[in-house]
Amino acid sequence: MKICILGFGAVGKGVVKAISLKNDRFKEKYGLNLKVVAVTDTSGAAISNKGLDLDLLLETKEQTGKVSNYPEYGVSGMSNMQVLDNAEYDCLVEVTPTDICNGEPTRTHILNAFEDKKDVVTSNKGPLALNFKELNESAVVNNVQFKFEASVGGAMPIINFAHETLSSCDIDSILGILNGTTNYILSRMAKEGSSYEQILKESQELGIAETNPAQDVEGIDAACKTVILANSLLGRDVSYKDVEVTGISKITPESISLAKNEGYLIKLIGEVSGDVLEVSPRLVREGSPFAVDGTLNVATLKTDLAEDVTVVGKGAGPLETASAILSDIISIYKIKQCNR
Amino acid sequence: MRLNLVLELLDIPGQLTDAFEPISRLGANIVTVIHQRDVKTERGTVPVQITIEGDKDTLDMVIDTLESQNIQIMEVDGVLRKEKIRTIFIGNIVEKDVKDALGRLNNIEGVRVIDFNLKIGDDPEKSASKIILEADSGKRKDIMVKIKEIGKSKGFLVINEV
Repeated sequence: MKICILGFGAVGKGVVKAISLKNDRFKEKYGLNLKVVAVTDTSGAAISNKGLDLDLLLETKEQTGKVSNYPEYGVSGMSNMQVLDNAEYDCLVEVTPTDICNGEPTRTHILNAFEDKKDVVTSNKGPLALNFKELNESAVVNNVQFKFEASVGGAMPIINFAHETLSSCDIDSILGILNGTTNYILSRMAKEGSSYEQILKESQELGIAETNPAQDVEGIDAACKTVILANSLLGRDVSYKDVEVTGISKITPESISLAKNEGYLIKLIGEVSGDVLEVSPRLVREGSPFAVDGTLNVATLKTDLAEDVTVVGKGAGPLETASAILSDIISIYKIKQCNR
Repeated sequence: MRLNLVLELLDIPGQLTDAFEPISRLGANIVTVIHQRDVKTERGTVPVQITIEGDKDTLDMVIDTLESQNIQIMEVDGVLRKEKIRTIFIGNIVEKDVKDALGRLNNIEGVRVIDFNLKIGDDPEKSASKIILEADSGKRKDIMVKIKEIGKSKGFLVINEV
């Protein structure tokens, strides 16, 4: 199976590293041989229809910062669209940075791949939170697979888990901690009694929070994920703009201490239920499934037959996110095998 | 038939007699009473377990009468009549008149404010208050929406339970 990867940041590199680590195992286990035929970053692309050397690709990026410096097959200035037109691939892995204003250019990349009858796997929340219906319909019309497990909760299984493992159930509501950075900040505030500003600064130094932390701390990232869950698991037709979003930047040590006296913690929770679609700081009982520490994500799905089912997992990290992307690729491969 | 009740009484003299009065007046029998004054709830009230016996109409009347006399019935046959709802408001609690917010919470039907804690931050904007409400069972969702409305109208950040 030939893979084209757009975007070579932390997630893109994680995918290449994971394929390099696991490809032999995939051959043995599933008879699946993954070949990366194209990779792009802002400098251009590395493209070879015979397949790129994954370790050389990582080394080139590490040492020069540009995939276009890949020996022989590096092309400086080649755009993502040119790569999509020129690469001979089966499955697009779209992992360019998220744009929450209009979902571009990811939306165009994905639609382009669909029209070329290619399957798509993405971790990119922007277009899923803004253009879910359009993308999903295009995948159906073009009779291709569209998977995005990695867009919500990193390694925490939720979308495919609900679709496949809980396929007998209807899901009534979902409540979850969907952002690792804010959970890390709130956990440390609760443990140490320090101020939000202080822990944020330390998280930035540790690389857990971004230099511009707004997407995480203002709840934007969690809101996108809440929308993706609402659309893909509860059959809603909502967009990012429909979410009532409150972040954690106003949470004070005083409020955390009052909650603690009552046996509660404050967590940033995304909720889809009834007519509620919101992300806000909420009180959760200590010792309850939501009382997870650090960068962990957790979600409880309320179902009709199985009642409450809770999943927990690492919400971010290159290899963790890559695990979800590769699982999507494998499941596409299995679907194709069945349809043969 | 028999009914197991858990009452919550204030720890002052005469409370237990007041609770017994309508039971005997209406003709129900008391089967057992477990009253341990030393075991208190977190806000200092005393839970009393009572089993009463009588026909259904009499027992219904007993419950109505006890409630009309403001005697708190927490459980009937193991089913909670009242539940606690906790919330935290963050903001300038003093300036924005939290007293008015508490009054409005108290005015929600079936709701009573039972505990209020305040922590003033170095910056008054960062003050926080914890409010515990007692509400009729099964109304949690509607009440949480109202709490949010009231808190937001005062400009507070409202942190409700999950």
